[in-house]
Amino acid sequence: MMEATRKQSNPRPPLRAGSAFSDDGSARGGTFEDVGALRLRLGDYLSEQTGSPVAVDRLVKFPAGFSWITYGVSVTGFAPAAELILRLGPPYGLFAPYSAMPEFLALSALRSSAVPRPRAFYASDDVAILGAPFFVCQRVDGDTPLPWGGQGSALDGDRRESLARDFIDSLAALHGFDWRASSLAQWGESVTVDNAAALQIEEWRQRFQRWALRPHPMAHLAFAWLGQNQPKASRVAIVHGDYRLGNFLERNDRITAILDWELVHLGDPIEDLGWAFLPQYRGGTGLVCGLASEADLLARYEARSGASVDRGALKFYIVFSLLKLALTHMAAARCFEDGRFNDMRMPAMATQMAPVFRQLEKALERSS
Amino acid sequence: MNNSLPRLIDGMIATLRGEIIPHVEGDFARGQAFGLIYMLNSIRLRAAWSNEFLCEQLQALDEASRDLEGVMTDLPGAPALTLRAPSGLPTAVELESMRDQGAARVCELIDWLATHRAGAPAVAVARAEDIIDRYIHRQLKWELSTSAKPMFDEISRGSEKGA
Repeated sequence: MMEATRKQSNPRPPLRAGSAFSDDGSARGGTFEDVGALRLRLGDYLSEQTGSPVAVDRLVKFPAGFSWITYGVSVTGFAPAAELILRLGPPYGLFAPYSAMPEFLALSALRSSAVPRPRAFYASDDVAILGAPFFVCQRVDGDTPLPWGGQGSALDGDRRESLARDFIDSLAALHGFDWRASSLAQWGESVTVDNAAALQIEEWRQRFQRWALRPHPMAHLAFAWLGQNQPKASRVAIVHGDYRLGNFLERNDRITAILDWELVHLGDPIEDLGWAFLPQYRGGTGLVCGLASEADLLARYEARSGASVDRGALKFYIVFSLLKLALTHMAAARCFEDGRFNDMRMPAMATQMAPVFRQLEKALERSS
Repeated sequence: MNNSLPRLIDGMIATLRGEIIPHVEGDFARGQAFGLIYMLNSIRLRAAWSNEFLCEQLQALDEASRDLEGVMTDLPGAPALTLRAPSGLPTAVELESMRDQGAARVCELIDWLATHRAGAPAVAVARAEDIIDRYIHRQLKWELSTSAKPMFDEISRGSEKGA
């Protein structure tokens, strides 16, 4: 099976991009959310890519996710799999505008790694095909433990220890992956151990400028602190960008796939540790992602990766992660305020900006 | 509107919870309804009838009070209206804009200190940073004390906690 992004010759009229907006500017389901039309278009697309008829028998929208729209897809005539996942990046999503390519390229490159992940089949940013950037991947069996509602505390005993091992080992495998020998080498031209932190700070500063609805002194204070305390990375690695409880599938106490690679990039691998260490993902436990103590996690990660974790850099990336989380909540506020998305989870998420800023304030106090 | 805003919101929440959500099909739709409850709880902690709405009512009273002054001399013993509406009451939008302009200046000062700290007197920098820290702390404290209890579990699962 060739994994590719070919533009197809459309036998059906293209789906309209941007049709998620009504004339009065309010958010409304786009044509890419029309399950009937999407089924036909996806079937055409898969048939075109494989060179033989592929029928989409069933398309079911998953309720989870604040960003990409996820469908479970049942197909016949597609040799590699009968169950697929279709992910679409809507123009109204949290991080819009989207490109499917970073996630697709990362998953494709990691095929030769020990990182559990879905097999990626196709992707395209051509909105004429399905109405929005999309990618198609294997549907992996498993459930998703969530970071809230005390579900983290339900991870106990052997199950927790097994998941903790997989969680840490997968991260070490991801960070140890030789991206320079893969198709991801093209991403690495401008990222160095010296500028890895600065590039990310700048990226998030631009997002902040795009998303802020009003002035936020706490964000300015955090950016100023980050600018003054940038660590030099010990190496440049693939950074998942959202590595945490809630973003992996598990079955029979094993992690079957790491999900949600939309923020994947090259950078300092400690960035992923900083994110995983956030209190929000502890699931009501004192454990990192409800899985392991900080000391145990770091010890196993260092053993598996063969790289020591600079504790000062870890502190830096925890502060940075708190800021990124606050900015993500800001994105939700922006998304809802602009009328792009009427999902009530958006304003609910936006209410968490102040608690995260409070945590950031405490983290800066400890670090000064 | 004849009821108080907090009571109206409490009533909406009770109706959603008791009469509507149990009849809504689908976890996602119920989760959205819990999102409504969460937002209503949040609004309850911060909202009041708008300044504009009350200003108009006060101005109407003010005008009636002034007009009645000329009549009252002919109505000995009648209760007099003595209300005077304060002039120039700011609207909620004006107050918000004032807050944002102030916060923007604080942001500018933070950015300035970050780039000029080396050349500025250390004592003055430390004093300014301390004042900014206390300002941010006070704002956050107020924000948090007027925030509703999160309902993310209900929103994501579409059912009450423990259900």
